[in-house]
Amino acid sequence: MASVVRTRRLLKWVGNGLLVVLLVWTLVPFYWMIATSLKKDREIYGFEATLIPRHPSLDSYRRLFATTPFVKYMRNSTIIAVSTTLASLVFGSLGAYALARLRFPGRSVIARGLIFTYLVPPSLLFIPLFAVMSVLSLIDTREGLILAYLGFTVPFCTWLLLGYFRSVPLELEEAALVDGCSRLSALVRVILPMSLPALAVVAFFSFTQAWNEFLYANVFTNSVEVRTITTGLTLFIVEDVFFWGPMMGAACLASIPPLVVYLAFQRWVVKGLTLGAVKG
Amino acid sequence: MGLPAESTEAYHGGVLVRAPTLSRRPRGSLRLRREARLAYALLTPTLLVVLFLVAYPFFSAMYLSLQNKMVGSPGRFVGLENYAELLRDEVFLRTAWNSVVYTLVAVAIKFVLGLTMALILDQSRRFNNLFRTLLFLPWAVPVVIVSLNWRWIFDDLSGFLNNFLITFHLTHDIISWLSDPRLAMGCVIAVVVWAGTPFYAMTFLAGLQAIPKELYEAAEIDGASIVQQFVFVTVPRLRTIFVTTIMLSTIWTATNLQFVLILTRGGPASRTQIFPHLAYEIALGARRLGMGAAVSLVFFPLLVVLIILLTRRMLRERED
Repeated sequence: MASVVRTRRLLKWVGNGLLVVLLVWTLVPFYWMIATSLKKDREIYGFEATLIPRHPSLDSYRRLFATTPFVKYMRNSTIIAVSTTLASLVFGSLGAYALARLRFPGRSVIARGLIFTYLVPPSLLFIPLFAVMSVLSLIDTREGLILAYLGFTVPFCTWLLLGYFRSVPLELEEAALVDGCSRLSALVRVILPMSLPALAVVAFFSFTQAWNEFLYANVFTNSVEVRTITTGLTLFIVEDVFFWGPMMGAACLASIPPLVVYLAFQRWVVKGLTLGAVKG
Repeated sequence: MGLPAESTEAYHGGVLVRAPTLSRRPRGSLRLRREARLAYALLTPTLLVVLFLVAYPFFSAMYLSLQNKMVGSPGRFVGLENYAELLRDEVFLRTAWNSVVYTLVAVAIKFVLGLTMALILDQSRRFNNLFRTLLFLPWAVPVVIVSLNWRWIFDDLSGFLNNFLITFHLTHDIISWLSDPRLAMGCVIAVVVWAGTPFYAMTFLAGLQAIPKELYEAAEIDGASIVQQFVFVTVPRLRTIFVTTIMLSTIWTATNLQFVLILTRGGPASRTQIFPHLAYEIALGARRLGMGAAVSLVFFPLLVVLIILLTRRMLRERED
């Protein structure tokens, strides 16, 4: 017993030490990103380069807004991520309700197909999907990109909501049906209000995935009017010349929306993780 | 989710039939048919998405890989010619080896580091919530931004790493992190680990916190040491989470091309070339869609085994 107590105290100190190491490892890249965005070029490149900005300035941000289509990219990302989220919520809820509450041939095959679909990686699909998009003239449109994103958000949303809807007590829904509610209004009035945590998780994942996505955006879009911030960022590299100041400024700003939703939804996120919600 | 799944069968078998509103409706198979029609109507958007955006492209990738199609020109059926060409190609063989090393090493390190992180955060400590939030931050940042930022950290002349090492006299010469053939793969893996570890730590921490404290107390009364407690209480309870997490992460690590695309573009001399990035280069750089599809599919048989196992696992976990 005594030795267990002693070991535990020792482990506590080992843990504290490792925690410091892990915090440094995790936070230094963030520091460097922010520090770079606050430097002037003189401190960024060459012999006068500094580890800590000596004369912090917002010059990079000024250049970012004045000389690059940064705002346009951010707007495109917002439109695309929000639309994807809304569509996923609606499609996911309808599909999940059918799978959770109605009996019909093919139900279990569909449920199985959803996970399978979700697990098929985008890097396998982007080549033929490029062909599909070309045929439908959806290349370089926001609609095309939203559609492509639904390919991975909808199966996941449906799958996650299915599990949750099943756990909503049947009695409540029956009461609504007895009162003359249709199936759809039972879904909207009874099941959805009781599934808010699950809807929050689904919204969170759809939004972050659409905001952070790069491969499809890079392959399916090419004009400034449509590009999202993730692919727009890489355009700041011109002929292998990097404009690191403005680029790190853009990186900081573009990370804010996903970080904010992460901080807001933190406690619900972990539940969804074990269901395979996140591409880690 | 750990929520008890209601049996829908029991619902349809009993409860629904007792619902008074239904007595006015036609009975038996007609009612079922009506229910089925509603179900298909509700599922239409989901099914369309799955069919057109996943199933069709998936099968068309297979067909495409048997053609010599280029961007903008119709392809001719060439059978297994693309695959045969790949097997003769030295770059392809190197890519195969790289992909395996890259995936295994990255997943192994993420696992160890993620478990360590979770165990540390499971200890009681002041400000633990704050530390947890901070350690999980990389997970929320877009991978493109992570990769660009690290590319800048690794920069030869002005990056943080060389800057730091020279300032503190830890080295005199500039180290070319991403263009040195011996270092490049290690650097790419470091970035993958930085971005991916929080995912492991999050799922493991959730698992650790779900273990009843009484189990540890009982083990302690039985005289189990800390190591024994870990091996006989913690590990068995986390086994399911370990397997699911590793499987998910393996699929996504092996198929993510963003890190390589931004950090090294497969270089130097194909040292960091992996399958998804090679497919990307061939399909979009060389505009050979057929060949690109073949490259991305070569890896697929391995993945599909994982995907099938994982699908089964997730269904089973849901039923429990």
